[in-house]
Amino acid sequence: MARAAGGDASAFQALVERHRALVYRLAWQFSGNHHDAEDIAQEVFVKVYRSLDRFRYEAQLTSWLYRIVMNACIDHRRRQMPSGWTPFTDDTELRLVNTPEERPGPETCAYGGELGAVLSRAVARLPAGQRLVFTMRHHEGLKLAEIAAALGLAEGTVKRQLHAAVHRLRDTLSAAGVTTGERA
Amino acid sequence: MTACDWFDSPRVALYFYGELDPAERERMAAHLRECAECRQALEDLRVVREALARQPRVDAPPAGDWSGFMRRLELATSATTASAPVSHRSRPTPVAAWIAIAATLVLAAGGVLFVARARPTPAAPVAARTTVTAPPVSRPSVPAEAAFKTLSEQHLERSKLVVLGLATRDPETTRPADWAYERTLAGSLLTDTRLYRRAAQDRGLTNVARVMGDLEVVLLETSLSDHADRESLERVQRLIRRRDLLVKMRVMGEGSGL
Repeated sequence: MARAAGGDASAFQALVERHRALVYRLAWQFSGNHHDAEDIAQEVFVKVYRSLDRFRYEAQLTSWLYRIVMNACIDHRRRQMPSGWTPFTDDTELRLVNTPEERPGPETCAYGGELGAVLSRAVARLPAGQRLVFTMRHHEGLKLAEIAAALGLAEGTVKRQLHAAVHRLRDTLSAAGVTTGERA
Repeated sequence: MTACDWFDSPRVALYFYGELDPAERERMAAHLRECAECRQALEDLRVVREALARQPRVDAPPAGDWSGFMRRLELATSATTASAPVSHRSRPTPVAAWIAIAATLVLAAGGVLFVARARPTPAAPVAARTTVTAPPVSRPSVPAEAAFKTLSEQHLERSKLVVLGLATRDPETTRPADWAYERTLAGSLLTDTRLYRRAAQDRGLTNVARVMGDLEVVLLETSLSDHADRESLERVQRLIRRRDLLVKMRVMGEGSGL
């Protein structure tokens, strides 16, 4: 970390190599396609590069990465949305819960089994805030408190976003006619 | 529709993810034994998890080839050097590196003298701050002058992110937690801004001193916004607008104001 902050290009490259999979995975979960995932990941690492002198330890950078990724994802989405779009605020939460992405899920999501494909498309269509929180909880295994800390949000907000995401995915199961457990 | 109050609450999902405290978890387990709807919801979550777990994790560009990505990043970072911290600029030659180190030491020593002279109180805590990489000297040589300008630009560039974040938020929908990050950063940038403002005054760099002064006021107001309510954010935004801070910072960042 110190070497990268000191201008050692190979140290910065090694740092990117250590973190790029996490960043790319989050960016892909958010964007659903390689083109946008790469753009988001590029933006993240440029920001990291410009801010290296703020971090003494790599652990500080790791926790900060989630926030940079979130901001990059949100900026990326904001550029594609009408002005005034906000991802997390209370006032917009109901709208987020009730408004799916207008774009259809990317074709690249349609892999694996039929149910997996249906659910992947459903995840891709989750509103931005829900998708990020769901991804961080479900795919990255972060606790709600960790997500809240990483994103700088209240834990209650994270909880509501996760609940809304899960609710929507359960609805997707019902709509797809999937029978599970006692419903079978 | 369901008669169960718990079905539409986050509890089922929190139970599923192991996020309930032990007492709540016990209550939920007991409830699940009685409530078929919640058991169904839990089963749905299990199905979601298993189905998604079978999907591949996409954590690399197609075919796992990072070479194009790394090339692009290298280009992007080298293009960023104009506004990046000195420490991230292109690799110096050994001679240049030694000159840079020597210049930094001279600047740092001058900075300590500057702080000590400007403040009768002990200067060590301020001088030790890592964000001021090379505080200004009172009688600058030409290279030191250039270094001061570069550092001022970099400081403004760092601060611009905070000011932009503050200026673009919608006060009607922004909650305190939403701009906590900017408030924290504002507090950490404040001392450095004050040092740069005073150093610019000392050097007769009126434009730089003026912008640093405006920035200082905005950062101070931001860091003191304990309630972080709508009025506080609006007050900060009014300050930014009235002082045309973003425009001034952009002009300075482009180098024409220095």
